[in-house]
Amino acid sequence: MKIHFERSGGLAGMRTVATLDTDSLPSDEARQIQAMVDNARFFDLPLKSPKPKKGADYFQYKLTVETEGRKHTVETNDATMQPALRPLIDFLVKKARK
Amino acid sequence: MIYPICYIVPPHILREIVKKGNNKQRAWALQTLTISEQFRGRREVVSLMPSVFAVAGEKRRTVYDAKSEYDLPGTLVRGEGDPSTGDVAVDEAYDGAGATYDLYKNVFDRNSIDDKGMRLDLTVHYGVNYDNAFWNGSQMVFGDGDGEIFQRFTKSIDVIGHELTHGVTDYEARLVYWDQPGALNEHMSDVFGSLVRQYVLKQTADQADWLIGEGLLTPNINGKALRSMKEPGTAYDDPLIGKDPQPAHMKDYMDVDYDNGGVHINSGIPNRAFYLTAIEIGGYVWEKAGQTWYIALRDRLRRKSNFQSAANITFDIAGDLFGSGSKEQEAVRKGWEGVGITVKKKKKK
Repeated sequence: MKIHFERSGGLAGMRTVATLDTDSLPSDEARQIQAMVDNARFFDLPLKSPKPKKGADYFQYKLTVETEGRKHTVETNDATMQPALRPLIDFLVKKARK
Repeated sequence: MIYPICYIVPPHILREIVKKGNNKQRAWALQTLTISEQFRGRREVVSLMPSVFAVAGEKRRTVYDAKSEYDLPGTLVRGEGDPSTGDVAVDEAYDGAGATYDLYKNVFDRNSIDDKGMRLDLTVHYGVNYDNAFWNGSQMVFGDGDGEIFQRFTKSIDVIGHELTHGVTDYEARLVYWDQPGALNEHMSDVFGSLVRQYVLKQTADQADWLIGEGLLTPNINGKALRSMKEPGTAYDDPLIGKDPQPAHMKDYMDVDYDNGGVHINSGIPNRAFYLTAIEIGGYVWEKAGQTWYIALRDRLRRKSNFQSAANITFDIAGDLFGSGSKEQEAVRKGWEGVGITVKKKKKK
C-alpha cells in the first residue's frame, strides 16, 4: 500500500508531507495502517469533504492511498472531516514529523 | 458524538437555572444549553436572554476542556468571573480572551466580536498532539502542540487575539478565506493579535517585537516565532519544518494551490506594509495605524477586497482621520509602497 499525505493551512501555514510504502514498514505497523484505512472505509469516502463556510486556521488534508490496483484521493479539513478518518490522519502527521 | 435533541430538562427551565442557580447548577445548565446551541450552530439561547447576558461593555468568557478529543465544545471548566483553575491552558485562554476584549473595547469601542457583547467561547486541550489553533466560525479552539516542534497554542497571547479577530472579520468585512482577500483576512488577525500583545505590554512601535506566535516553537527548533510582521520570511529556518516562506513584497507573491491560495503565506506582504506604516508614525500603534486599519476592517473592506483595495482604503481613511497630506497618511502610502503597492487615490465626489 502506498500513501501520499499532505497537510497545509493551520495557524502556522506550514506544509507537512509524508509518503509511505507499507512494504518497507514493519509488518505490525503495516497491519495497523491497513486497519485504519479499512475502518475509515477510505475507498468509499467522497473526493472532497465540504469546505467550511466559516472558520479560519483549520488544517487541510490531502490523502492518496494506492493498493491492489485501486487508487483514491480524499481532500478534507479539521472542520468537516469524517471522524473515522481521524486516527489515520493523526498517524500520518506523526510519521511526517520524523 | 451524537447530541440528543430531546431534553429531560426543557430549555426554559435550564434558562431559569442559569439565572438563579448556584455556581454548580449554573455550570451544568449552561453546559447543556451550550451543547444544544452548538448542535444548531447558533446562539439562539443567548439572544433570547437579554436580561441575563447582554450587559453592555462586559466580557463573558466561557472556557471548555476537550480532554484530548475532537468533539466541541467539550466540558465547561471556567466561566466568567470564576477563579483560576490551575490548568495553564484554561487560564491562558481566559486571560488572553479578556485582554483581546479589553483592546477592542477600550481602544476601538467595540463590545466583543459582534459589537453586541457576544460570549467568547474557547476550547483547550483539543485533539492529541494537535499543533494548531483555529476559529470554527463560532468559537476558538486550541491544541496542546506535540511537545517536540510546538508547545501549547494558548501560550502566545497574540494567537488568542488572532483567532478572536477572525470572529470580528466574520462580522465586519467578511473577507473570503482564499487568495488575496484571504491573505488580508489573515493579515487583520495578525495585526490585532499583535496589538493585543503590544497593548498589554504597553509597547510602542519600536519596542514591539512584531512576532506572531513567539515562544510557540520548542527550543528544539531554530525559530523565534510563526511569523514576523517586521521581516516576513525570517521567523524560522529548521530542517524539520523548513524555512519561513513568507514574502515581504508583491514581487514575491506566492500563487500556490495549498493553504487556500497561501493565505498564511502572502499575509506577509500587508503585514510588512502595516509594520512600515506603524514604525513611520511611531508611538503606540493602536492609536493611529491601528485605528486606521480597524476602520478599514469595520467600514470599508469587502468580501473580495484585494491588497490594492486595502492600500487605497487605508490611505483614504488616514486622510479622513488625520488630514489629507498628513504625516500619518503619508506613512500609510509609504508603507504600501514599501511592499510594491502604489496607492491609488480616491476621487472625492
